[in-house]
Amino acid sequence: MQDILQRIAVCIERGKASLKSLYPPDMKGQEGVAELTEKALKKGISAQEVLNKGLIFGMHSIGEKFSRGDVFIPDLLIAAQAMNAAMELLRPRFESGEIHHKGTFIIGTVSGDLHDIGKNIVKIVMEGAGWEVIDLGTDTSTESFIKAIKNSPGALVGMSALLTTTMLNMEKSVRDIHVKYPYIKVIIGGAPITENFRKDIGADLYFPDPNKLVEYLKAGN
Amino acid sequence: MTSKQRFLAAINRETPDRLPVTAHHVLPYFLETQMNGISYQEFFDYFGLDPINWVVAYKPDPSRGEYFDPEQGELGFLEPPRICSDNWRIKTEEIQDPKYKTVRFNFETPKNNLSMVLQSDKHTTWVTERLIKDKADIDIIAEFFTVPLCDVEEVNKQAEAFGEKGMIRGFIPGFDVYGQPGCWQDAAVLYGIEQLILETFHDPQWVHTLLKILEKRKKAYVSSMEGAKFDIVEHGGGDASSTVISPKIFDEFVAPYDVELIELAHKAGQRIVYHTCGGMMPLLEKIADMNPDAAETFTPPAMGGDADLKEAKKRIGDRLCIIGGFDQFHYFKDCTPEDTRQEVRRCFEEAGDGGGYILAPSDHFFNAEIKLLRAYAEEARKCEY
Ligand code: B12
Repeated sequence: MQDILQRIAVCIERGKASLKSLYPPDMKGQEGVAELTEKALKKGISAQEVLNKGLIFGMHSIGEKFSRGDVFIPDLLIAAQAMNAAMELLRPRFESGEIHHKGTFIIGTVSGDLHDIGKNIVKIVMEGAGWEVIDLGTDTSTESFIKAIKNSPGALVGMSALLTTTMLNMEKSVRDIHVKYPYIKVIIGGAPITENFRKDIGADLYFPDPNKLVEYLKAGN
Repeated sequence: MTSKQRFLAAINRETPDRLPVTAHHVLPYFLETQMNGISYQEFFDYFGLDPINWVVAYKPDPSRGEYFDPEQGELGFLEPPRICSDNWRIKTEEIQDPKYKTVRFNFETPKNNLSMVLQSDKHTTWVTERLIKDKADIDIIAEFFTVPLCDVEEVNKQAEAFGEKGMIRGFIPGFDVYGQPGCWQDAAVLYGIEQLILETFHDPQWVHTLLKILEKRKKAYVSSMEGAKFDIVEHGGGDASSTVISPKIFDEFVAPYDVELIELAHKAGQRIVYHTCGGMMPLLEKIADMNPDAAETFTPPAMGGDADLKEAKKRIGDRLCIIGGFDQFHYFKDCTPEDTRQEVRRCFEEAGDGGGYILAPSDHFFNAEIKLLRAYAEEARKCEY
């Protein structure tokens, strides 16, 4: 059992989605995440275990390497594609309540800002850590954040900004969210953001990279 | 030294009389809202900065049946004229949007039509619908694209008029309507950077085909630059930064194409600055290996880049001229003139040794306080060799 879960984790880390995937070339012709996930479930391994010990484990390990600067954005993107192949298979089990997400995370790039690579990486890492992610896209107005919170009242909210002009829009979004939902935690990030800026605008948390956020959440916060 | 001599000394990695100091782009928004609408050149004079004059001078190749797009309106800031042919007509269509000016560009060809949507606000313009939606679209592009050529006469006319005032700067053309100078960076605009990255894993051959098509168009322009009196020509773009791609992708998909254009530009007597407005540190030697004359923007970590000017100077300072590195976010706003002066000194101390360095903000700035811009220029002028 350990073996197949480990293989799933390795396939995720290496970005091997399915038997058909040509990448990575040294794994050509081998089963990928899709086939292995199917097999694991058939063998009676619980979906929760596949999720925790296969998918989340694989994503965690690539995420850690990214944090250390050992791998780059492309490696995370291809790993996420592999993870999605398994997520497709697990979706009905999430819907039936057999397995659960750790929680809901709403994320968007702030108003006026079109940069979405960083936001997508946060999404990938949070999904990889077992969270349901609601992606509001780029150029997200305060109203869109508020509407999403209304639909998922227990969610955490993430905001991303890459421009020094648009990071200032975070202040309004954070303030308006806190006025309406004082208990909602708003987490901010993006290359120009700093801890001092977080303090200035009254956001709850800042992390320079999403793995730090995952570690913080793992620690039971 | 005149400003032009000062720039050229730095680009040639010689020692100028003092630190050349300039601004990369000065956005029309900034000039209108914060400088009472003064002109681009008045801006440099006002602060005593070493001036840059951007020259965009294209011409069509009538022997290919190409002509200026008769339907293009007034040209915006750094907007090149469009070149069309009977097989490549560009029609624009305004789309109603509650928030942004939104325009669809339809590329009409004898086969399929292609289209791209751009939006803009007061600061800038961006792509919301990619030109390449289907992989087969690149066959249409390959068959029908038009090539802008350099209007050497016009460049030289402007260079003559500018004289010793400063540096004449051009760029390798991006694709029609919206693009970037580097081949990979241009492809990222046309296809979307994340999709392009994923295709390097799934269908690398297709990515190479696309890059070759874009390179061919650029090569025609670069070859036609012979005799044009540019002082420096911009190449590259942000999507090949190490905050976006890996060094491996840089080696396989960026350098092989961009290096050919640099060689060709050198043959045409031009100097090249390679622009990387994001992460650079893992790529420094790879950039220098392409043999550009200069590299920019050396964006510091506080602005989202990763540049360590001192280390960069040590690693590649003997191979190319360094441009940029100044943190315009923290030192053009909300600080004291003394802080700004210290940031100028930091840059000079870290990268100025022996010349080969041009002080500039690491890319655009949107807002700035006049007194801080003044401190920036004044302090740099005091950085003598
Ligand atoms: C790629 C890019 C673009 C692409 C974006 C494509 C896309 N689909 O996203 C395009 C070409 C469209 C673009 C446009 C512009 N850009 Co741009 N762009 C970049 C570039 C090169 C990389 C950004 C990036 O994706 N990085 C990779 C990601 C993964 O990093 P990241 O976003 O920081 O995210 C990481 C962390 O910060 C964190 N994180 C991010 N968000 C969050 C959120 C939370 C909650 C958490 C926990 C963590 C977290 O996690 C990520 C992984 O570690 C940067 C330079 C740089 N910083 O490297 C410039 C840069 C950001 N752009 C810049 C500029 C000026 C522009 C334009 C204004 C240019 C123009 N004149 O048109 C326009 C703006 C358009 C708009 N309205 O938004 C400037 C910003 C300067 C400033 N400080 O304001 C930069 C810094 C370049 C420069 N040196 O000047 N850009």
